[in-house]
Amino acid sequence: MSFGFPLGLLALVAVPAVVAAYFLRRKQPPRLVSALFLWRTPNQRAEAGPRFERFSREASLALETLALIAAALFLADARCGEAASRTHVLVVVDGSLSMLATTGGRTAADAARDAVAALVRDEGASVVTVIESGPRPRLLAGPQLDVARATAALEAWRPAQPAHDPTPALALAKELSTVPKQRVHFITDGPVGELALPPEVQGRSVGARLENVAFLSAQRRDEAGVATVTVRVAGFMDAPRSVPVRFSAQGLPEQAQQVALTPGATALVRVGMKTAGLIEVTLPDDALVEDGRLRLQPSPPPTLEVSMVPTLDPSAQTTISRALLVMGEVTFVEKDAHLSIGPPSSVARVRVGATGPLQSFVGPFFAQKTHPLLDDVQLGGVVWTAGVNPPGQPLLSAGGVVLMSEADDGVVHLNLEVSRSNVQRSVAWPVLWGNVVRRARASREGFPRRLVHVGEDVPVVTSPGASWALEGPEGASRPVLGVGALTVPPLSPPGAWHLRRDGKRVDTLEVLALDAHESDLTTRGAWSVDAAKTDALATLSGDRPRAWAWAALVLALMLADFWLTARRRS
Amino acid sequence: MHTDAPADLAMVERASAGLSLRLPRVPHRGRLGDARAASVGSSMELHDFRTYHPGDDLRHVDWNAVARTGELVVRVRQDEVSPRVEVVLDATASMAVSAEKSARAKEVALWVCELARHGGCEPVLLIAGREVQRVPGAAARAALSQLRADGREPFDAALARLPPFQACGLRVVVSDFFVEAAPGALAERFARHAAGCALLQVVDAEDLDPSGGGGARLTDAETGEVLERLLTPDVLQAYRERCSAHVSAWQAAARRVSASWTQVPAAEPLTVLARRELSALVEAS
Repeated sequence: MSFGFPLGLLALVAVPAVVAAYFLRRKQPPRLVSALFLWRTPNQRAEAGPRFERFSREASLALETLALIAAALFLADARCGEAASRTHVLVVVDGSLSMLATTGGRTAADAARDAVAALVRDEGASVVTVIESGPRPRLLAGPQLDVARATAALEAWRPAQPAHDPTPALALAKELSTVPKQRVHFITDGPVGELALPPEVQGRSVGARLENVAFLSAQRRDEAGVATVTVRVAGFMDAPRSVPVRFSAQGLPEQAQQVALTPGATALVRVGMKTAGLIEVTLPDDALVEDGRLRLQPSPPPTLEVSMVPTLDPSAQTTISRALLVMGEVTFVEKDAHLSIGPPSSVARVRVGATGPLQSFVGPFFAQKTHPLLDDVQLGGVVWTAGVNPPGQPLLSAGGVVLMSEADDGVVHLNLEVSRSNVQRSVAWPVLWGNVVRRARASREGFPRRLVHVGEDVPVVTSPGASWALEGPEGASRPVLGVGALTVPPLSPPGAWHLRRDGKRVDTLEVLALDAHESDLTTRGAWSVDAAKTDALATLSGDRPRAWAWAALVLALMLADFWLTARRRS
Repeated sequence: MHTDAPADLAMVERASAGLSLRLPRVPHRGRLGDARAASVGSSMELHDFRTYHPGDDLRHVDWNAVARTGELVVRVRQDEVSPRVEVVLDATASMAVSAEKSARAKEVALWVCELARHGGCEPVLLIAGREVQRVPGAAARAALSQLRADGREPFDAALARLPPFQACGLRVVVSDFFVEAAPGALAERFARHAAGCALLQVVDAEDLDPSGGGGARLTDAETGEVLERLLTPDVLQAYRERCSAHVSAWQAAARRVSASWTQVPAAEPLTVLARRELSALVEAS
């Protein structure tokens, strides 16, 4: 049994008063009788002396006392069994990558789990809310989850967030607190620096100062069948040290480079490997293993396939092909191309040509300079001959004529009569087609970049008419909503993430556990801060309706007493 | 709280003056006296004739009958005795719940003794209280003047400490008869070996019709047991019914043993009682 308002039990002081009143009421002048047995009812038994049993049979006293006790319990908001009030403990655990740092065979995350368990035990908590701090705070358990389930959720927790400010998580904890000024326990692995914690926060570090060698960045560039891998290694330690950096790929012998590191310094390592497959780069295992292992996916294929619709004006075909060939990594195909170019009447993605009465312009040209297709396109000295206005949003115009537009479905209209214009001979021409090609490359399905750091937003391109999802390294699936070039929030945990279209794998992204701040374990260690306001525990009685059963019991007992005494009076 | 007031024993003599105890019309047992006894004796009253048996007193041979019949015929004469009268007085505390009740019980007991003496009987007063006493009739007044009804046990328990009743002409029991024991057995004991038995129930007005009004801590006068009750009309009515049933049970028991039952209201003076409730016991000398 628990009490939402224990002061209500003060009403119990009235019980002795009732009993005393009962005594006074019952203390009648004695009457000597000749035959007491004639006064007894059949179920009554006279007893000498003021024994307790004498009062127990007094139904009125019993009812009044019980009613008073029930009233006190009602005032005290007594709860029994499942309805008993629950003690709520709010915990924010640091979700940063450094919580995986190992010392003595145990990670800081394990220590955090133990700390939460001890906290729950010490506070006598029955429900727990656990929040993982991160760039976006995440609710690990709760709100107000029972201890067993919260503990299970914590067991499955694996911190993998980049360096971040815990304030959003602490603010979320404050939002989830059940009473004002409820204490929030913050468990991290080191000092939080100059950060001003809210007064309700009680912080504690479970980490330790450790030496660590880590990758700070990684790049892979695939050209002509050769992958060039560039990694930056940093040593967070007190003394100079030499560590080997190993590169391995399937079917190739492992390469290793010894790197001499001085405290606080970094070293750049670059190797070339003739492979188009996965490359693994590793450092010797140390305190934080995660930042010493890299899996580098090959870069997206740079080659763009372009097709020309045969009905396109031959002069236009010639000048466009010349511009595209200059760029390289562009191949012409008959069909199923990434970029199709055709006349205005075609279904190509880029439609070139002018229809209707032609009109030539030497300027001034009005262009949406911020549009990626017109980036760095200079039209000075250009003669542009155009026909009737094409559909879509104007991107470039001269007078009342739209020279270039983009439809809602992304189709680009180039209102240009090549044979009567000189734009194809200007510098703007290759720049314009370069923008077109770059945009076409960026709009290919999949990941434009296959290597991202932890905590970094992930660009992804999807197409309509299919269901898209991201599958994480632990098998968790996250749907991708939207179509086109999207940016999804940072993916966690680090590892290989697969993009699936209707369940079929389309592309793979590697989230690298690289964060210089998280790898620097020399800044970790003991730290604690007490809550400035110590309204420690919150019982959840306040947010639940009162136990009106007690009030009903009081009413029933009083009615029974009234009935009993009224019957006697009658 | 006992209210054992002294009885007006001098008034008893006045109330009994010129009166004697009416004895039952059956042969009595007792010392040689004036009343016809159940035994064959030497009084002048002819009881029967029978043939002579060796050892009979030759003085009792009816020679006239011998002359007429030629057989030895003996006159059998009835014995003449002075009948014993036993007065049993309940001296338990219940007889002292009020001054009237205590005084009236003593007065009635003494009054019966006086009547018996006036009738030539030999009264014996048996007192069953804290102590049991056997007092000859002549010393009854002195004994009663000193008596305190303070027996702390029920009347039937006090009776058990009395010596066995002797055969007597009349046994008068003065009590309130408020005992839980079965009336039948007690009544039979009172009537055993007695030619006649009179049960006089001395009751206080509160015994029969208690007053109500609020609660009461009822204390048994003899055992000290306590019962707290609200004396509501329902409770009082229930008491009256139980009391009436109790008296009825005693009356029935008295009838079964051919004893008389008389209820003596303690509130009434003895002079009044002698003319009304107790008149059946009185015979002019």
